[in-house]
Amino acid sequence: MIARVIESASPRALALLAVVTAALLIAPYLVDSYVLSVLIIVLYFAYVGQAWNLMLGFAGQLSLGHALFVSLGAYTSAALFIKFGVPPVIGIFAAIAMAVVAGCLIGYLGFRFSIRGVYFALLTIAFAEFTGIIVDHISWLGASSGLFLPVKNQQSNDLLNLRGSPTMFYYVILALTGFAFALCSWLLNSKLGLYWQAIREDQEAAEASGVPLFRYKMIAVAISSGLTGIGGVWYAFYYNNLFPETMFKTSQSVEIILGSVVGGVGTLFGPILGAFVLTPLGEILTAATDGMHLDGVKSFFWGFCVAAIVLFRPQGLWPWIYDVLGLAPKKEGKR
Amino acid sequence: MDRRHLLASGAALGATSTLVLPTRLLAATGPLKVGVILPRSGVQAGIGQDCQRGVDIAGPILKAMGMPDLQILSGDTESKVETARSTAEKLIGEGAQLLIGAFDSGQTTAIAQVAEQKGVPLVINIAAAPQITEQGYKFVFRNFPTAGTILANAFEQQNAIFKQVGDAPKSVVFMHVNDTFGTAMAGGIGALMPKFNVPYKVIETIPYDPRARDLSVEISKAKASGAEALLCVSRLNDAILLTREMIKQRWTPKAVMSMGPGWYEDQYLKTLGKYSDGPLTFSPWYDPKKKLSQTLVAAMAKSFPGVNLNTNHVFTFEALLVAADAYKRAGSGDPKALAEAIRTTNIADNSSMGPGIMFNAKGQNDKVVDGSVQNVGGKQVVVQPEASATAKPIWPMPAYDKR
Repeated sequence: MIARVIESASPRALALLAVVTAALLIAPYLVDSYVLSVLIIVLYFAYVGQAWNLMLGFAGQLSLGHALFVSLGAYTSAALFIKFGVPPVIGIFAAIAMAVVAGCLIGYLGFRFSIRGVYFALLTIAFAEFTGIIVDHISWLGASSGLFLPVKNQQSNDLLNLRGSPTMFYYVILALTGFAFALCSWLLNSKLGLYWQAIREDQEAAEASGVPLFRYKMIAVAISSGLTGIGGVWYAFYYNNLFPETMFKTSQSVEIILGSVVGGVGTLFGPILGAFVLTPLGEILTAATDGMHLDGVKSFFWGFCVAAIVLFRPQGLWPWIYDVLGLAPKKEGKR
Repeated sequence: MDRRHLLASGAALGATSTLVLPTRLLAATGPLKVGVILPRSGVQAGIGQDCQRGVDIAGPILKAMGMPDLQILSGDTESKVETARSTAEKLIGEGAQLLIGAFDSGQTTAIAQVAEQKGVPLVINIAAAPQITEQGYKFVFRNFPTAGTILANAFEQQNAIFKQVGDAPKSVVFMHVNDTFGTAMAGGIGALMPKFNVPYKVIETIPYDPRARDLSVEISKAKASGAEALLCVSRLNDAILLTREMIKQRWTPKAVMSMGPGWYEDQYLKTLGKYSDGPLTFSPWYDPKKKLSQTLVAAMAKSFPGVNLNTNHVFTFEALLVAADAYKRAGSGDPKALAEAIRTTNIADNSSMGPGIMFNAKGQNDKVVDGSVQNVGGKQVVVQPEASATAKPIWPMPAYDKR
């Protein structure tokens, strides 16, 4: 799949990708712990944004409830670790299973009963919200008082149990982001990806052409939810506390999708670029507005900037940068 | 000058130097850089900004107490766990030698991990999740009661009030918001109540949506239950709605006993005027008899007219007091020395209820207790514990239609 990406990219794009990858690989040795913590957040949103993008950007199914899959992955792996000592390297499979089952349930209801567009989006929100309410009442999962993972200030890194330094978590989320990128790139160029794009562009036409809509939409939901669930596992072990009040909320879902929207929905680099723009933008604005002593002024400017990006680059930043930097190969490939 | 005189002078000089050393050291290192991390924007903005008032009034008061200067580095969590963590990293990077925060348990946990990894002390102002000080952290300290302590104190003080007034409700209707906070509190109340032998029985439980615009049906049900008192866990808006509905439906229970926010807040008092009088709230509070509390009340009145001193201000101020006290005793801004000094904190001249500020081996002040506060004449008046009370409880609550 990597060979295919290389084949379809221009030399300039490959050079840029190599530089960015190299910079990310050595970043922990060059930056201080604050910048590292920001990079970790960037990569987390790049990863879950990529997973969400697969569903809307590739297959045309709008989800506003992806916080559900993050939360299910997080709660499943954390509960297995806390209650039974199951390391996350094994718990991740249960986490994926939980997220995929939830995704398939939503998908089945939505696609079987032809719930489309914003109504499908509402269905995803509803599932996230009521699952949050259920978890709110399960004392085994900490209920509304929260689920806390035991924390040790250990000096060594334990990758199997995801216990260790921020640098370890950085490399884990970097690897996940790379994996999601490669997987999505391969899927987008596969027969499956072509079917998804056909569904995205014109569902009726795709159906008339013999594309089995239900099956391929279900596959998109399953892969997207499973990938997002993996993100939840990482989240649980990095932050070490989970509260239903914040985990399942629509605001979490919006944060997941915002990077992709700003970066470019349906593109491979969009979610990554969006995350690299939005999170640092927030930090820069925090620093710039520090002296104003006006609470929330940063959020105001941040919202203003995001609105400006969406207004002036409605297709997202990546297609524009792609053209400006001349990254297109002689024979046009995938963005 | 002979040799003996020289030695004596040297010894005297040495002794003097020893006495003034901490002050000189502090002067040499300058003010302690304290990173104060609060949710000053986002969904918890109101509370974070209220906590900030405790920071705003602190400077002159700490100075008058003989404490060294603090340089405040402010951080906003935006009410998000992710931002809380990166803000802690940022402030430490900017030189913060001690952190304070962050009102919310999730955000505080994220900050605690950074504090522990960096070896920088975190003094928690407000956060009630018991797990925070059960992780074996060496650099995390909390001068705020845990959720279990808050509820246990509430039942103890209810019993004390019943004994004091020589009367007790035989039945209560329990109304609570059905959000995360309300549900958690309802669960805790249900689990703890049997252990405290309260004299009443809960004859009906009525959960409701905190965003409801009309609670007439709920109050009708509560009134029809025949309960003598109302036990509730509310937020601000619904507390106002419930009161208005009780007035409208001419139902004045013997007591309104709140185990959460809403009923004692400034906005409740201002909105309802004379109808705000009567409800009892069981909450972490300040001891009005302590000298520092009186200073804080005066400082709030001067800096923020119309804003009454409350839990958010007091516990945020006390976190700064812990920091300044540790800096003074440690004589150094070294985070490890500060942590060691905080461990041996013993501040009796504080503001919150209880014998003072001191931390157990886990970093928890397990001596801090709740107060029972009753609204009287548009003010919050402490009626329990008796040692801190400035008035006796008004019992039963005056009827709404006779005010």
